[in-house]
Amino acid sequence: MNAEPGPIVQVRGLHKWFGLLHVLRDVSLTVQPREVVVIIGRSGSGKSTFLRCLNFLEQPSAGEIEVAGLRVALDVGQRPPRDRVTAIRLRTGMVFQEFNLFPHMTALENVIEGLVTVKRLARAAAVPIGERYLDKVGLLEKRDVHPIRLSGGQKQRVAIARALAMEPQVMLFDEPTSALDPELIGEVLEVMQQLAREGTTMLVVTHEMQFAREVADRVVYMEDGAIVEAGPPDVIFSAPTSPKTRQFLERIL
Amino acid sequence: MGLKLMAQQRHEHSLALLRIGAVWAVLILGLTITLTQLRIDPGYLVRRSDILFKIIDGLWTTIGVSLLSVAIAAVLALVGALGRLSDNALAQGLSGFYVSIFRGTPLLIQIYIIYLGLPQLGLQLQQAGFRELGQLFILDALTSGILALSLNYGAYMTEIFRAGLQSIHHGQWEAAEAIGMTRWQILRRVILPQAVRIIIPDVGNQFIAMQKDSALVSVMGVWEITYLANRSARLDSKYMELFLVAAALYWLLTIVSSFFQSRLEKRMAHAYER
Repeated sequence: MNAEPGPIVQVRGLHKWFGLLHVLRDVSLTVQPREVVVIIGRSGSGKSTFLRCLNFLEQPSAGEIEVAGLRVALDVGQRPPRDRVTAIRLRTGMVFQEFNLFPHMTALENVIEGLVTVKRLARAAAVPIGERYLDKVGLLEKRDVHPIRLSGGQKQRVAIARALAMEPQVMLFDEPTSALDPELIGEVLEVMQQLAREGTTMLVVTHEMQFAREVADRVVYMEDGAIVEAGPPDVIFSAPTSPKTRQFLERIL
Repeated sequence: MGLKLMAQQRHEHSLALLRIGAVWAVLILGLTITLTQLRIDPGYLVRRSDILFKIIDGLWTTIGVSLLSVAIAAVLALVGALGRLSDNALAQGLSGFYVSIFRGTPLLIQIYIIYLGLPQLGLQLQQAGFRELGQLFILDALTSGILALSLNYGAYMTEIFRAGLQSIHHGQWEAAEAIGMTRWQILRRVILPQAVRIIIPDVGNQFIAMQKDSALVSVMGVWEITYLANRSARLDSKYMELFLVAAALYWLLTIVSSFFQSRLEKRMAHAYER
């Protein structure tokens, strides 16, 4: 990932309505290259919706999103240009709570699907890249196995490899460990921690406070569709300025 | 212990198969006895083996009509299902109307209208000066039959395809969108391969039903099993004999199709076996 001058993600005045429900209220956030930002908050606080707006899996209602130099500014009722959305998706990698691996493809086929179909690489050229990323998440020996024969933790690691193989400039993690049995969470967090060490720019929505504390450069607390406060983890966790943040942390820690 | 258990299970499994086979044997014996009570002359089929083989020849037409029709129907069904699922009003309206009209009327009447009605339109078009266009509407019996079967089964299969496409979790769309795939790429590479596996039992069922519904094209004089049986029977008034031959041929066809269907299902299941 090449270091770009200036922020890699810039969101200004983002709004999202689901019908009459105002789920994102004027959210703004800037992420620097190589930064790890962890977003915490109650379920229903809008943190997942916010993350999904960044690669337009969720249609923002209004606001401005800039990812890796690609800018989309929307007024209420406007739709983003399709080719711009595709370009942004190519520069972001997404990891889902439910893994969403393609069940009819082997682990390797999952990882190289985007390379072959979207980046138009020849299969022979894509396979070594896919193997490299499977190796990176420690699953090279599972290359020819279908997802049904993988554990939850292994599935999520393949999903991470699938996102990484596209060589995105930002990785988005949407509650990557929430669907996992407790004993499988560690292996996924380990991979994420390694990515953070290597300088991957990451936005992570999670309930894993330990991970936030140890890996995040910045922790963002969201409530009712708005960012309440953001700061370094030691500040957020030991001396939050907002009573809302304090209340949330008291309840879950 | 484990090996012993497996051997035990295998033993029980073959025993169950044996019992089912015995039931079949009894039923077939019963059926045969019942049929001998009809006043039929089995020797006729031996004496006039030329007629027997003529009817068997009709098998190829039946297979050809069914295979071609189910293939066209599958294409119609895919387009129809995409129309049903699209958010475009025109596409939704067209596909909804198509399904409604072809599921809502009898296949036999559809055959008559396509065979007898379309040529009238064609002639009028030709009189109005559109010679080539008009010619397209004047279809021979075989083409009319295939068209009617395709349109009719395409309508039923549209609903099967729609349900199959809808059964794929939306997370599959999202994961593919997130790596930058276009809607068409997602459909072709991610959704359809999974949907096909789900709809194969239903499509196979439709194919088997169609093989027998293809008998309806005999009303136009297409030389398939039923037409040949009916026509040949008239010569010596051997209706029962030849209709039983026809019935046996359809049954055989169905058994063979079911066999291929289950083979296909097993092959598609491979990725989903633990």
